[in-house]
Amino acid sequence: MFKRIPQPPVNPASRARERHDFWPGFGVVLAGIIVTFCGARHLTGVDTVDGNTAWESQLVKAFSTGGLQFPDQVAPPPPPKLDDVADPGAALDRWAKQQANVQPPTWKIRVDLGAKAACPT
Amino acid sequence: MAWPIIRMECPVHTCPERPPATLGRKLSRLRPWVQTGFLAVWLAPVGRWLHGIPGCVFHCYSCPLSSFACPIGVMANYAALLPVVGEVPYLLIGTLLLVGAVSGSLVCGWACPFGFLQDLLGKITNRKINLPAWTGHIRYVVLVGLVLLLPMILGYQGIPFERQVISICRLCPAGALEAGLPYSAQSLLAGNGWIMSGLKTGILISFLAAAIFIHRPWCRIFCPLGGLLALFNRFSLFHLRFNSKECVECNLCRSRCSMGVKVDQAVNVTGCIRCLECTTCGALEPAFALPAKNPEPSKPPVT
Repeated sequence: MFKRIPQPPVNPASRARERHDFWPGFGVVLAGIIVTFCGARHLTGVDTVDGNTAWESQLVKAFSTGGLQFPDQVAPPPPPKLDDVADPGAALDRWAKQQANVQPPTWKIRVDLGAKAACPT
Repeated sequence: MAWPIIRMECPVHTCPERPPATLGRKLSRLRPWVQTGFLAVWLAPVGRWLHGIPGCVFHCYSCPLSSFACPIGVMANYAALLPVVGEVPYLLIGTLLLVGAVSGSLVCGWACPFGFLQDLLGKITNRKINLPAWTGHIRYVVLVGLVLLLPMILGYQGIPFERQVISICRLCPAGALEAGLPYSAQSLLAGNGWIMSGLKTGILISFLAAAIFIHRPWCRIFCPLGGLLALFNRFSLFHLRFNSKECVECNLCRSRCSMGVKVDQAVNVTGCIRCLECTTCGALEPAFALPAKNPEPSKPPVT
């Protein structure tokens, strides 16, 4: 049942050539450095919650902190507390009119830099 | 189907043909310490601000102690976002190009924390199930299917990555170990029960058990990052060089390879994690490509 690996028919002379040149690897290293530098300076097309544009590193960080916000996650403001106002009917009407005038968010996704979810998934 | 079982009894000290190479033996002894040292890099809670930079090893970014972001998690998130914003992950691509072109899959053998854990579990017994070489191709199926295509398709349907029921993060054993386990234990101690899903718990237990009887099962069969970095092995600056003048056909190189690479045929292949254990034989040596030296393939010894 248990066996040692059998001796293979090794023939160093028939071994396939494994050339390992410097330039292909060096070219990819250079490309990697340039792309990394571009990434570090890259402003994404995603806005942050406070209205700025997110850096790529902020977007990457948002993946691990649950910092991505989608429009359906933004809750509308709650209705006014009717106990605290003098004219509850008017306050409710005012709130309903405000809600009717609220435009749906134009953004598709934005980054909440303050999110600290332990595990987003 | 009965899998062939081999005993990974590495005849370093019993090779009748030759003594083990000094450099290879030193590297073999050094490797666990380097892996331990890298744990301090990946498990540095003070480095949480580095979550904006993708790392180069398989390490869950939801781990309470993680420093860098998991490159596979970042890749899957970008794939899911592609239908929404169409951003290009320059940082991720640049990091992988840089690490891959310099070292290939060297980070798998020397720096990956999940690989280190599997190495430690593999030391429990030296009786290992030998996997066929084609299982290594499953890594690319995982990479293309689960990390890129599935999140993208579900993203097109308007489902954000975090809400996707099936995703690499929901199936990942490293995530289960490094994030699911501590948070579930914390929840259990607080009296809120076990919060990790049964599927993920089962995957974690299965992989930990499998790592005892298969050397690095995750790395050999499923790791999409290892598969990706291994593609650089053919032309990375750091590489393994075969010196046929030193080869005495003792088979020590192949016996030392726990990944099942046919070292006697080719070394810089996608199945290699560059643990450098094969360099113990002396005919294989680590090398770094330099512009001044044009490495000619070594000629066989004249007899």
